[in-house]
Amino acid sequence: MLRAAHALAREEPATGEQMTSDLSIDEELVLHSVGWEPVHLVTGASLYSVPTGVWNWGQGEITYASEAVARAFGAATARIHEQCAKAGGHGVVGVHVERQVRRHHIDVALVGTAVRPVGSRRIAADSVFVSDLSGRDFTLLSAAGWEPLDLASGASFVYAPRRSMGAAVQQKGQNVELTNYTEAMYAAREAAMRRMQETALAMRGDGVVEVKVTEGPMDFARHAIGFSAYGTVVRLAADAHRRMGATMVLPLDDPVSLFDSASLRGR
Amino acid sequence: MSDSPEDTTDAAPVAAQDLPEGASRRLQELEQGLFTSDLSVNEFLLIKEVGFHPLGLVMGSSIYHTGIQTRRWGQSQELTKLTEAMYNARELAMTRMEEEAAELGADGVVGVRLDVNYYEWGKDAAEFIAVGTAVKAESGQSYRNKLGKPFTSDLSGQDFWTIMQTGHVPQGLVMGTCVYHIAHRGIGQTLGSAGQNVELPNFTQALYEARELAMTRMQDEANGLGASGIVGVRLEEKSHQWGSHTIEFLSLGTAVVKTSDDVTLPKPTTIISLDN
Repeated sequence: MLRAAHALAREEPATGEQMTSDLSIDEELVLHSVGWEPVHLVTGASLYSVPTGVWNWGQGEITYASEAVARAFGAATARIHEQCAKAGGHGVVGVHVERQVRRHHIDVALVGTAVRPVGSRRIAADSVFVSDLSGRDFTLLSAAGWEPLDLASGASFVYAPRRSMGAAVQQKGQNVELTNYTEAMYAAREAAMRRMQETALAMRGDGVVEVKVTEGPMDFARHAIGFSAYGTVVRLAADAHRRMGATMVLPLDDPVSLFDSASLRGR
Repeated sequence: MSDSPEDTTDAAPVAAQDLPEGASRRLQELEQGLFTSDLSVNEFLLIKEVGFHPLGLVMGSSIYHTGIQTRRWGQSQELTKLTEAMYNARELAMTRMEEEAAELGADGVVGVRLDVNYYEWGKDAAEFIAVGTAVKAESGQSYRNKLGKPFTSDLSGQDFWTIMQTGHVPQGLVMGTCVYHIAHRGIGQTLGSAGQNVELPNFTQALYEARELAMTRMQDEANGLGASGIVGVRLEEKSHQWGSHTIEFLSLGTAVVKTSDDVTLPKPTTIISLDN
């Protein structure tokens, strides 16, 4: 990845002859069928360090960590926008989002393929779109009258207060809801989802599709509950949604089923 | 909420009808016309195809501590306390999700996932979570179920499209669960059957009984909704954290009702694909 960044910084890519892309052949064909072509593999990355003590005992939201994720994501997206514009792309499809939240660092890396309508001119970095949707999803959405805008993300980390010794002993044999954890989970989720929504509203999007959520306690600090979400913001570009009119097909291929000896042993 | 300095555990459980403050603020934002959804692009387009519009990602969760019940080594029996816990915790998560959907004015929730996650909090505490996408009919016609609530369904966008073409409408995600302890075999029995091909009737019997209980409970829920059938039923057997002889049987499916006889499903074209 670093090498890719160097390569991009060194030379002027996309002279027409050299093209790199991590799209499959099918994806490229689909893009070509609607008059788009891949230009270059582009990346954006950002790493934030987290000082010691941030994840320890406390109350409420761990704002330092939430903000660090937001900044890292923002910086990585800004870089992939710039690289795409520099490579002559009009947008990035199939972005792989890799996000790691560790005790001492938070890092976000984005890798995707810059695409453009065949033979079109360069456009400015802020009018480039960035999306984690595949080439085929991009084609389908465009056909229905929608356009992708950018990635929106939100993250939040919240401390769950510990149960008192007495409460823990009292609840030992009972069916009870652990409200301290449930409430912390809700607080983290609502803050994270709201941040994602606000980003989407700020770019005047109509919706966020394929939202991916990760949630749960951090494996290095079990009283810190994290929730993060990201997805592609879309906007209705046409006057109205165009229906696809799907036809039903019945594939005659046999499903590939191999004998699995594990079934004899039961799981 | 979590800003309150005291330990909140001793407080009464969060009432299902009161959404946390943060949640209602998030939902208000969604009313500005933005939608969020974890549906894939394919599913999104198919939902639009049947005349529905996604409103937002709705979620409900509950972190729950399951009690303890003694099991008798040599006796097959339902562990009612554990069954109750599994029911209760899932209901809490589902109801909270439904509340969010109702708040958005949705007709239903599609693509519901119901998960149980175990974390580092100890082996008796688990997170029960329900996540789905709230949808609303663009025509303004109400698709709410018999109880006046948004329907819930674990059907994917593709399945939802197909079932709507056949004149069926989902009514609700129905489930039945049963936590069962299966007796160990005595030494005498084990020795007696050593070296032989024999059925182990006590095991067979116990598994049957537990499964029947779970299935019956699911059907009862569907009857309560006035459903004419249950589609996409899955039967899951999980031991969770209870050891090998205690099993949860969970059956889950979408209760549907037939609303019209016209089937608009076109005759499928047969294809043979050239790829692998």
